[in-house]
Amino acid sequence: MNLGVEIGAGLRLKNPLLVASGTFGYGVESAAFVDLASLGGIVTKGLYLTPRGGNEVPRIVETPSGLLNAIGLQGVGVHAFVRELLPRLSAHDTAILVNVCGDSVDEYAEVARVLGAVPGVAGLEINISCPNVKKGGLAFGSDPGMTHQVVRAVREATRLPVIPKLSPNVTDITVFARACEEAGADALSCVNTVLALSVDVERRRPKLAFGTGGLSGPAIRPLAVRLAWQAARAVKIPVIGIGGIASAEDALEFLIVGCRAFQVGTANFADPGVHGKILAGLEDYLHRHRFTDINQVVGSLEYPGLPGRQQPP
Amino acid sequence: MNLAAPLVARKDLPGPYAVLEFRHPPVAAEARAGQFVMLKAEAALAPLLRRPFSIMTVDREAGTFSVFLKTVGPGSRALAQLTVGEMAACLGPLGRPFSPPPAGREPLLIAGGFGIAPFHLFSEELRAQGQKPRVFYGGRTAADLVLGEPFDALGVPLTPATDDGSLGAKGLVTGAVEAYLEETHRPAAFYACGPHPMLRAVARLAQERGCPAQVSLDPWMGCGMGTCLGCVVRIQRPGEASPAWRCACTEGPVFDSREVVWEARP
Repeated sequence: MNLGVEIGAGLRLKNPLLVASGTFGYGVESAAFVDLASLGGIVTKGLYLTPRGGNEVPRIVETPSGLLNAIGLQGVGVHAFVRELLPRLSAHDTAILVNVCGDSVDEYAEVARVLGAVPGVAGLEINISCPNVKKGGLAFGSDPGMTHQVVRAVREATRLPVIPKLSPNVTDITVFARACEEAGADALSCVNTVLALSVDVERRRPKLAFGTGGLSGPAIRPLAVRLAWQAARAVKIPVIGIGGIASAEDALEFLIVGCRAFQVGTANFADPGVHGKILAGLEDYLHRHRFTDINQVVGSLEYPGLPGRQQPP
Repeated sequence: MNLAAPLVARKDLPGPYAVLEFRHPPVAAEARAGQFVMLKAEAALAPLLRRPFSIMTVDREAGTFSVFLKTVGPGSRALAQLTVGEMAACLGPLGRPFSPPPAGREPLLIAGGFGIAPFHLFSEELRAQGQKPRVFYGGRTAADLVLGEPFDALGVPLTPATDDGSLGAKGLVTGAVEAYLEETHRPAAFYACGPHPMLRAVARLAQERGCPAQVSLDPWMGCGMGTCLGCVVRIQRPGEASPAWRCACTEGPVFDSREVVWEARP
């Protein structure tokens, strides 16, 4: 039974399960609780050129079936990552993808250049969709022209696979998916958190110090499945589904609508043992449906009014 | 270690309080006072995330540990409804424990209400090291001080204090500590667990009296593993030019009170 997938530009994963940026630190923190080698890959916390302090507290609040956060991309910066963390992380047999941030197009390109020059990095996820920073982030991901510019600049700065992470906070995600494809992206991550607000009614103030935050967890899953489906239909490059995945069934929704791989995010916080359960559940599903390869599931959605079952190229 | 932990015993206390005992051999074997577990009733749909609980006691032979539970929201309510044999998802032991006092200093364990939990195990550890801890237990009213009795059994003296004078001295628990210091003039080391204003008051008292103090912070915590960055607190260590956000789950929850930037928190 094959669980291996390819997510563009020859980037092969031993299985389709990645852990999502911002929910797994730099990987090394969780090594005591999770067998990193069991993962298809790790997407690190977002990295700028320099260290970032992040936002004031409170930064997280739980909402019905969800988590609202405004961490604000606290991070050690790309140079400390390359020097101190990447060597430790590379000791584990899994694909290391680094989430790349920037306040400017040049900063994204420079971070990509640094990461392209060291061994151990399998690909770059381009963060153009963080709702919790005042500059960059979502500003790049909610304007198709800016999206194109950032992705093109990173594309020109590195030969590593380039995977923009799209925002759900747009009217038509297909416009952004195509802008990324045209700019030379190798795959897409769909989607980042949903811009949201939770209010403390006693104090009549936002519950988070930053004000708004990004909503994640099962609350956003149907929304994310719809967006990943639309993106996957709009482009030829692989799509990686993200949004509230906590079980094999959740992951299969994304695979069936056309995602080649998926990321587990908020569920990492709820249960560090979730990965083993999801992978076992995928194998069980393949077995029950007499599939021999997870890729047979990808894009197999039969949708009313649309032709046949889609199959990957 | 992440395990499904069966509830093996429960003791309901007056008010919203209960003591729950779970079987989790790694926690029972390794836990030290001040450490915590992330817990969630396994069958519960809400909440999504586990909640942190101080480890109150361990039974190393039986492979069990207990937590002190106060029902405040959906997570604690689901735990409060567990019956013996039902499972909780349990990750632990987590965090940095209390460290023993410097030689010659009397350990004063200062608890605010629910914050009494870690001092049971800590009293046992200190007694085993030949130390003589003393507990100060504060609350708004006598009904908040439901966990005093076990300390009698340990032979640890306990001084209650309540805002309304319904049990022990009337006033803040730090007032009772000050009165004790005035009376004895013995060098002390403070350990504090409780509401944030109480911890800040203990830190201030420690500074005034030149006592070391370890405080157990309890910010809202998402994962317990240092990955969500939700539970960060501002800490400035000696030699550092400026404070930095540090995870209470992995670098705490116990911190030296002098390293905590108290102004930065609500």
